[in-house]
Amino acid sequence: MTEEKLQIVAYCCEYCAYAAADLAGGLRMQYPPEIRIVMLPCTGKMDILLALQALEEGADGVMVAG
Amino acid sequence: MIVAEQKSLEEIKSLVGNAEKVLVVGCGTCVTVCFAGGAREAAIVSASLRMSSKLDGNPKEVTDVTVQRQCEWEYLDEIAAQVEAVDVVLSLGCGIGVQAIAEHFPNTWVVPGLNTTFLGLPTEQGTWVERCAACGDCLLGLTGGICPIARCSKSLLNGPCGGSIDGHCEIDDEIPCGWQLIYDRLNSKGKLDMLMDIQPPKNWSTSRDGGPRKIVREDLRLNEKEESGS
Amino acid sequence: MPGDCHYLEGNTNARRRVNHLQDLLEKIGLEKERVRMFNLSAAMAGQFVEMANEMTEQIKVLGPNPLRNSQKESEE
Repeated sequence: MTEEKLQIVAYCCEYCAYAAADLAGGLRMQYPPEIRIVMLPCTGKMDILLALQALEEGADGVMVAG
Repeated sequence: MIVAEQKSLEEIKSLVGNAEKVLVVGCGTCVTVCFAGGAREAAIVSASLRMSSKLDGNPKEVTDVTVQRQCEWEYLDEIAAQVEAVDVVLSLGCGIGVQAIAEHFPNTWVVPGLNTTFLGLPTEQGTWVERCAACGDCLLGLTGGICPIARCSKSLLNGPCGGSIDGHCEIDDEIPCGWQLIYDRLNSKGKLDMLMDIQPPKNWSTSRDGGPRKIVREDLRLNEKEESGS
Repeated sequence: MPGDCHYLEGNTNARRRVNHLQDLLEKIGLEKERVRMFNLSAAMAGQFVEMANEMTEQIKVLGPNPLRNSQKESEE
């Protein structure tokens, strides 16, 4: 394995955080490439098991945004 | 339903001990609806054990499976092969489920992942309360459907004790006085006169005082002799 | 934002769940700071970038997930 890149899974609500991220992209704003966005229909869909599985599979961090 | 609560991860780890292969068995009935030991909880406990054991430097092989009901042999038969392939079974069933696994798979070491707590119901999402003590001689017909055995801290039969304060129990302000509830209920139904009957001491032999209980229904039993003879 | 959720209570439910997950992570033996909840609205692109930077900095301080290496090794 080459250099380890950090991976942060960002569970984003379709109606706020995901739209904000989309807007950030539209405005050509830079944010770290470590952030991997997963869109959820609502952060209320965020399940403990979902985030736990991400961490078990090796994600370095999990952010929930909404 | 049977209401249970998960043991701490620490206690679960010590119960699992040095076993390398662990099967977490969830139950799809009571403990699923009280969010203690269903398929989702089995997956979470199983992932937690895998992660924790890996961080401790002794990674365990932990898998999970959930059966419809741990307390019936036929549902346990489905997982026989998986049970035989592991060193320890962590049951997320109630105490009945754990014992059913122990009895059905005599060669298997089974440990409990839950504390079976009481017979009750959810009064709101996330809150469960005790409602029945399984005393074996139901008195609800005398009390307007509110159980003095389960809901009065002292299981009194003839009205409240002196510790009933503003409708609350002296054991804990959060607990409503069972007898206040019974009084209010009978009052609202215009049946307060029912309280004038003095209840004699309860026959506790139908409860745990009579030892482990058993029900045999001749109308339901499969009797081989009769079947072949008739 | 809390109280301004499209589904009314989705994000406040999520926050309680994130808190519970953080407790669980500590019991498992991972740093609870690896999981964080952020609140923002659809128009807050700048804040999203700030949060992403903040989270990334925090994870850099914590370092890689200790579960990752052993996992990769076992896969290879």
